[in-house]
Amino acid sequence: MNAYPRPGGQPAGGHRAAPPHHTRRFDVIVVGAGLSGTLVAKRLGDQGWRVLVLEAGTGTLDTWPGHLDAMNTYYAAAAKVPNSPYRPNAAAPSPDVLDLAGLPEGGFRAHGYFVQNGALPYGSDYLRANGGTVMHWLGLTPRMHPEDFAVRRKFGYGRDWPLGYADLEGHYRAAERELGVAGDAQEQSEAIGLPFPEGYVYPMHRIPRSYLDDVVAAKLDGVPVRESADSPGTTLRVVTTPHARNSVPDARYDGGRGYRPAGAAGLPNYGERCVGNASCVPICPVQAKYNPLKTQATWDSRVTLVTRAVVSRVLADGTGRAMGVEYQAYDDPAAPVHTTHTAEADIVVLAAHAIENAKLLLVSRLAEHSGQVGRNLMDHPVLLTWGLMKHPVGPFRGPASTSGVESFRTGPARRRRAPFRIEIANWGWSWPAASPGSDVARLLGIPGDSGQPRGRGVFGKELRRRLGDGIGRQFSLQFELEQEAEGRNRVTVDPRHRDRLGNPRPVITYDLSDRLKRGMAAAKAVSDRVFGLLEAEDRTVYGPGPFSPGHFRFEGQDFTFNGAGHGAGTHIMGDSRDTSVVDHWQRCWDHPNLYAVGCGSMPSVGTSNPSLTMAALALRSSEQIHRDLTELHRPVTVRTGGGGGTDAASGHVPGPAPSPHSRPHQEVRP
Amino acid sequence: MAPHRTTSPPSLPALPTPTPPSLPAVDGFVDVSVRLTGFDSFDLHATGMAALYLETALDQVGPEAFERFLGELDAAGGDPDRLEGETSRDIARAIAHLWYLGVWPQLARSVHSALGREKANAPFTASPEAYTEGLVWRTFHGHPAGAKAPGFGTWSEPPPGAPPVPRAAAPERPVEKPETKREGELEEEREGNTA
Repeated sequence: MNAYPRPGGQPAGGHRAAPPHHTRRFDVIVVGAGLSGTLVAKRLGDQGWRVLVLEAGTGTLDTWPGHLDAMNTYYAAAAKVPNSPYRPNAAAPSPDVLDLAGLPEGGFRAHGYFVQNGALPYGSDYLRANGGTVMHWLGLTPRMHPEDFAVRRKFGYGRDWPLGYADLEGHYRAAERELGVAGDAQEQSEAIGLPFPEGYVYPMHRIPRSYLDDVVAAKLDGVPVRESADSPGTTLRVVTTPHARNSVPDARYDGGRGYRPAGAAGLPNYGERCVGNASCVPICPVQAKYNPLKTQATWDSRVTLVTRAVVSRVLADGTGRAMGVEYQAYDDPAAPVHTTHTAEADIVVLAAHAIENAKLLLVSRLAEHSGQVGRNLMDHPVLLTWGLMKHPVGPFRGPASTSGVESFRTGPARRRRAPFRIEIANWGWSWPAASPGSDVARLLGIPGDSGQPRGRGVFGKELRRRLGDGIGRQFSLQFELEQEAEGRNRVTVDPRHRDRLGNPRPVITYDLSDRLKRGMAAAKAVSDRVFGLLEAEDRTVYGPGPFSPGHFRFEGQDFTFNGAGHGAGTHIMGDSRDTSVVDHWQRCWDHPNLYAVGCGSMPSVGTSNPSLTMAALALRSSEQIHRDLTELHRPVTVRTGGGGGTDAASGHVPGPAPSPHSRPHQEVRP
Repeated sequence: MAPHRTTSPPSLPALPTPTPPSLPAVDGFVDVSVRLTGFDSFDLHATGMAALYLETALDQVGPEAFERFLGELDAAGGDPDRLEGETSRDIARAIAHLWYLGVWPQLARSVHSALGREKANAPFTASPEAYTEGLVWRTFHGHPAGAKAPGFGTWSEPPPGAPPVPRAAAPERPVEKPETKREGELEEEREGNTA
């Protein structure tokens, strides 16, 4: 078997590079080599199953030369947006935040991969490449709060999980080990009310707070603020955020066994500590931030990765069992040539991102019973506020956010408005105003539109002084709001809109509910009070314009929101096949051997950055997939009219597929 | 204000210079850049970008307009604030922008037309290193995002000119025994979901 050629350098892992394409049988096919797919492949490969991972994008990032190429692409990019380091790929296109533009009188225009027809824009991107969107994540790993799992029952909105925090707690710990989380569990417990087992510590000590965090904490800690005249006071507290980022290992971890940080993929003994490059989004130069390539480097040899393989369809038989997938292989992302192949397996796991999973199910006409595929699309709409402190605060240093205010995530106010988490942003006005580039242009008199008249501009020492004084005092707050599941926010496919390989592009219908907009109004009110406490000069402005596709008016007030990159909810889990797409194992109700894993399964997203929860769910599903496979491979002794018996010891000859009727979908809860 | 007018059609573009700018030309460019940026010549040379930036400016506006810019700046006593011709003033803006960010910006549309440029009026980064050598980061004692990392935990220290603030001590204790109430909530969660 020839090793698949990898551009530049050696494959990172013990896994196999892709063989030439011919139909073969595997125990499991995983669609997508992002965070979820990589973790599922890791667990199942370690348990001895033969896993085929099909990744639509390229594998250029999993070698050190490929990583350096991405760094240079990032340095040279005009706009340093999340996808800027990663090469465009016409065969497996990715959405980009630059695909959206606001219109002068309000409203927006979308071009690029998504077709958008909603009242408001869905402003989040993702990345189709080996490693997935987590290649450009910020790396924050807060757990969801127990009450986030039951928002319908407790607060009367959205959808409830068929699981609770307690069901997931052990998997949270497993995910914190796999991703390598640095944090202060005692602080998380005291400040947020997260239950942990007694004596728990994270693998690594918390990432140090920024100077800005300390400045904010000195003014805010213990101060009650009201979000409206008639609401009770909420006490502010700056809380350190857990990160999947290498910090100082905690010797007490794992019963005193400690923890060894995982360094860069493809370069030994490198990246075992965050060194403050301040570019976590879009790329960590030393790979001190977790990315799935690190896990792939430890994959068992039974895991086979094929990149540049776009799954176009899930194949199922007449009884509803998934038989495998059809995929399109291509060599050159720039050339419109592909060949079509099939791969077969006992179990198929879709792990291609919430929107791509939904697209695949829709195209394959699978999991249709509930009518929920593609619906309940969610994100964390982000409201930004920004201003100037009275003295320098050291912006553009360290991870993008090291602390937040968690006081508005929970509690009875959720009955009327969306809850939110406040991230203290360490990178000045980079997100709200594209600083520092925009500051330079403004002082030089260069407007965004080359047709507009130019200011005279400031030069020399005066330019230098004013830049230093202005940028040095910049700070901003990011309010991440919970979006609830709504059937009207959805992904569909339309045969008229296709990408170059002929696969449908996602058609997105998106809007924000009034309860979400009330959350934004409350967030802005809190921001106003916080700026007052900080004695900061508020420079926040919302209005229509080319850089404000997310502008809207609500109750006489202007707002602009952004996407957080937290796409979720397109194949939500539930406890009934009539109202949800997957069960609590992320297994399609309609197809006992087809899983759809990832944020798409989440019925509610709370206010936590979702990757840790997604990882915990993937690890939990891996356990059930292992049980399913074990069951399928159990020696069959007598079976009237069935296929011949198979020998489990010989390993990987699949047993006869049981009919769904002979083995009803038993729910066994942990 | 008398904007420069071209009375004759723009001349054919000069052939690309086959050799990099000569050392004296780079020195002269750095002298001008000192006035545009407010950084001294040692700092500017030390970026390693001076020759590339001179080439970029020459390539973008053409040698004639560049010479006129130098001449007008000289006539203004070397003070870019006193540049009155809009073309030269826009070239001054562009060169300062290039030094501060590593990015050649869009020229004013009118200047773009007046120069008769036969290339897109689009911003671009001169090279990956140009981004990391941008001067803007130094104005506030920073480092370019994604390069020249200052080291673990350095972001906790006050930047120059900032007052120290009390730092909340990191407790870093293991999780204590959960309160009874919290234990109860856990139970409720479990029961509520297995029912």
